[in-house]
Amino acid sequence: MSRWEAWCFMPRIYRLLTAFLGFTGCIGIVITGELNPVMTASGLAIVPGYYRYLKGRGTAPKWVIGACSVLTLVVFIFDSVVSGDFFLAVAHLTITFQAIKSYDLKEPWDHLQVYFMSLLQMVIASELSQSIVFGIVFVVFLIALVAAMVFSHFAKEGRQEKVKLLMPVSLISIAALLLTAAFFLIMPRTAFTFFGKSHAKGMRTSGFTDRVDFGSLGEIKLDPSVVMRIELERTLPPPYYWRGKSLDYFNGKVWQSTVGERHRTVKSGDEYLLGSYDKESAVGQRIYLEPIDSDIIFGLSEMKAIKVDSFFVSEDNANAVFLSRKAARRASYTAYSIVRSEVPGVRDSRYLQLPSGMEKISRLALDITAKAATDEERAILIERYLKRNYTYSLTVASPQKGMNPIEYFIFYSRKGFCEHYATSMVLMLRCMGIPARIVNGFYGGEANEFGGYIIVRQSDAHSWVEALIDNRWTRFDPTPPVPAGHLMAITLFLDWAKMNWARYVVGFQAADQRAILHFLVSPFEFQTFLHLTSAGKLQLLLYLIFLPTVLLSTVYLFRRVWGFERMDFVSRKYVNLKNMMSRWGFALQSSATPEEILNKAQGLTVEGQLREFLELYQRHRFGCIQMGPEARMKYGQLLKRIRKGLKGKFP
Amino acid sequence: MKSPILKQLERRISEILRGKDTAIKMAIVCLLGKGNLLIEDVPGVGKTTLAFALAKATDCTFQRIQFTSDMMPSDIIGVSIYSHETKEFEFKAGPLFCNIILADEINRTNPKTQSALLEAMNENKVTVERKTFRLPEPFMVIATQNPMEYYGTFPLPESQLDRFMMRIILGYPAPEYEKIAVMEEPSFRLLERMEPVVSRHDIIGMQEEAEKVRVEDSLVDYMMEIVSATRRDDRVRLGASTRGAQFFLGAAKAHAYYEGRDFAVPDDIKKLAPLLLGHRLILRNKKNFSDAERLVREIVEKVPVPV
Repeated sequence: MSRWEAWCFMPRIYRLLTAFLGFTGCIGIVITGELNPVMTASGLAIVPGYYRYLKGRGTAPKWVIGACSVLTLVVFIFDSVVSGDFFLAVAHLTITFQAIKSYDLKEPWDHLQVYFMSLLQMVIASELSQSIVFGIVFVVFLIALVAAMVFSHFAKEGRQEKVKLLMPVSLISIAALLLTAAFFLIMPRTAFTFFGKSHAKGMRTSGFTDRVDFGSLGEIKLDPSVVMRIELERTLPPPYYWRGKSLDYFNGKVWQSTVGERHRTVKSGDEYLLGSYDKESAVGQRIYLEPIDSDIIFGLSEMKAIKVDSFFVSEDNANAVFLSRKAARRASYTAYSIVRSEVPGVRDSRYLQLPSGMEKISRLALDITAKAATDEERAILIERYLKRNYTYSLTVASPQKGMNPIEYFIFYSRKGFCEHYATSMVLMLRCMGIPARIVNGFYGGEANEFGGYIIVRQSDAHSWVEALIDNRWTRFDPTPPVPAGHLMAITLFLDWAKMNWARYVVGFQAADQRAILHFLVSPFEFQTFLHLTSAGKLQLLLYLIFLPTVLLSTVYLFRRVWGFERMDFVSRKYVNLKNMMSRWGFALQSSATPEEILNKAQGLTVEGQLREFLELYQRHRFGCIQMGPEARMKYGQLLKRIRKGLKGKFP
Repeated sequence: MKSPILKQLERRISEILRGKDTAIKMAIVCLLGKGNLLIEDVPGVGKTTLAFALAKATDCTFQRIQFTSDMMPSDIIGVSIYSHETKEFEFKAGPLFCNIILADEINRTNPKTQSALLEAMNENKVTVERKTFRLPEPFMVIATQNPMEYYGTFPLPESQLDRFMMRIILGYPAPEYEKIAVMEEPSFRLLERMEPVVSRHDIIGMQEEAEKVRVEDSLVDYMMEIVSATRRDDRVRLGASTRGAQFFLGAAKAHAYYEGRDFAVPDDIKKLAPLLLGHRLILRNKKNFSDAERLVREIVEKVPVPV
């Protein structure tokens, strides 16, 4: 039977596996959500393709496949040139390839191509996504791939009979998963991403760049996606203002930051220092930041130190903190802050800048603050005025043409959201000569009791005001409180699962590796050993139990995989003998019979013992007589004596 | 250990046919396994002596049929003759009706006679004119074939060869034995004086015992693997048949019994394979009769032995 014929007889399940793998690869890459929907749609052709294939309808005509391939190539070149992103173009190409291939599965080689392409898709997807869903798809993919490879091996051998697959496939899959996990744990963590350049665009946020269109925060406030999850190292009462970026220049439509240069911070130990601080009074915030399209990081004001895996941490002159661009993609970091609502600052003319046409607002500000004596009182009065007299609303009508949106808010619509309030307050303060700036960040967040952390969403984005009073930047928030919506328990639970994914998988860093290593090694450090606490002893005990268990199960697994498992004592010793003799240079093939083994040892001193051993072996192995304890002992001793004898013979 | 009776039997035969221990052993194994034996060799190396000695030593009735081209089936099976006394046809049994038959130069006779003999030996019975006659027990055919002479012969087709359990080759004796054989009394005279070692009933009993020998499952798999390996080999046009496998199992049991075991071991199978399977294969380019045996040996060397 030729290989081709053997192939035709391949079990249906194998074809099914190929279809499944092709499909999983495409799904994996599509769920990243980074692909062009039009290009993705071409992948839908895979469904009828594999349907036809599984029904045994045969392949599409050659010229169709050829034409499609040429077309795909043209589209690919166009795609990579126009989009400028070669990486995504390749991702698109893999989908189209899979679709075409599903109509052209003939030879064994074609199946392998599908596997390879799916694998490539998985690699691309892993670069584009860190979602837990991808993690699940990947595990499923891995198992299916193992099964398919096992099948393909049998197919290559031309075997058609039913093969017991469940055990080998599940064992190899488990082994593969364990190995993957091991690699995951020990792979060196660097600040590089796999492809050198970060491709995931991340969540679109606005408000944290150097230039923010006025009113743009309103869009993201409608978005319920989670931006970050925060674990507080010690309890801290609300409010939580997760400070992001402050902006100083306003031209009536756009807020800008003109503080300019960022400077890198000094690294001390594993922390980047932003200022000297007292560790005791600092609040640590472990923050898992979802990928966003900015390199800024958030934290409670005033951040004093950042612990993070990044090339550098930089800070601008207005207390905003940034990571290196790559590190910001999978940022999880710990910020240490001295929490207070005022931060020392210096007077700067830029914080008094006003756009033109502020006369009306200026008059209003003077009216409001007529009774106040100090800057602080003035600020409080303005804050109170805005809080009481305006309505919070995310739906804001745009002003008539030519009208300043702030003027429109203050005097006409009297409806707006945080940006309107904060901008109004900043401008009013500036009108009265009090330096002020707008700060964008997140406010509050929802506590998740499941994991004891805080969920902050896009919709928690917020703007507030910092005014320089007595050389201290003091926080004011003129926005009236908005009742926060509560999440359902199930949503919180699912979010907790995502948090763990972010915490233990995506956020697994060099520091964690060190921690594990330290945990494993610490009981053996001599000093520690002498002063073991009971917890330490428990740890040592667990370690002593854990390690042999892992070792033994590995050995057990290997034995099963190599077919040792059905071997009882009798056969095992015989195999030992054979292996031993092979080591001593007796050429023993697997086709060697006991008598042939005996013949090889003719004239050796151990011949008699060998004969006895082989007789025992044959009687108990093929005579199907259970070996009693005495025979067992004798059997084992004979083997030992043969080993000794052979050693004496071949020094 | 080998049973004393079998040891004695072997020794008795080897006193007459010297230096042919393997052939003697295989002939006995064949007898114990209820199989028929094909001896393929040049004339004058002791084919007849072996068969006769085996019969004598086991107290079996023995007939030698010298096959010639003009022989008819009735010449071996027997004929029905009209009897004047009983006014009926009476069956006069031919030479086939005895325990051990030496079918000498079976390839000299015509296919009709050949197949009559082979059918009889396969079914252990003969049907003449709607009457069935059972052949005596034990029953064994030892056929000889001269591979060197082709002129005027009808070589047995493979389908007929398949009915033999084993094919062995005698070969010339080693020089020291040949010298003794030449100098000593002619073997036919020695044979005349030969005393049986065992009775016919003993042989039947041993055959039954041999059948009970245990063959462990993995050994059967091993045997089947060898059989199917002959079918897969590129150099073979036709591999061993299922009947071949059946004979193989029987022979392995008999061999184990012969070695004094009540269970078979891998060596039983591996040693017998060339003798059991060689004559069942049709090679793509046939050179001579020992090629097939050599090929089986090669194939067996590639099949892993169960451990």
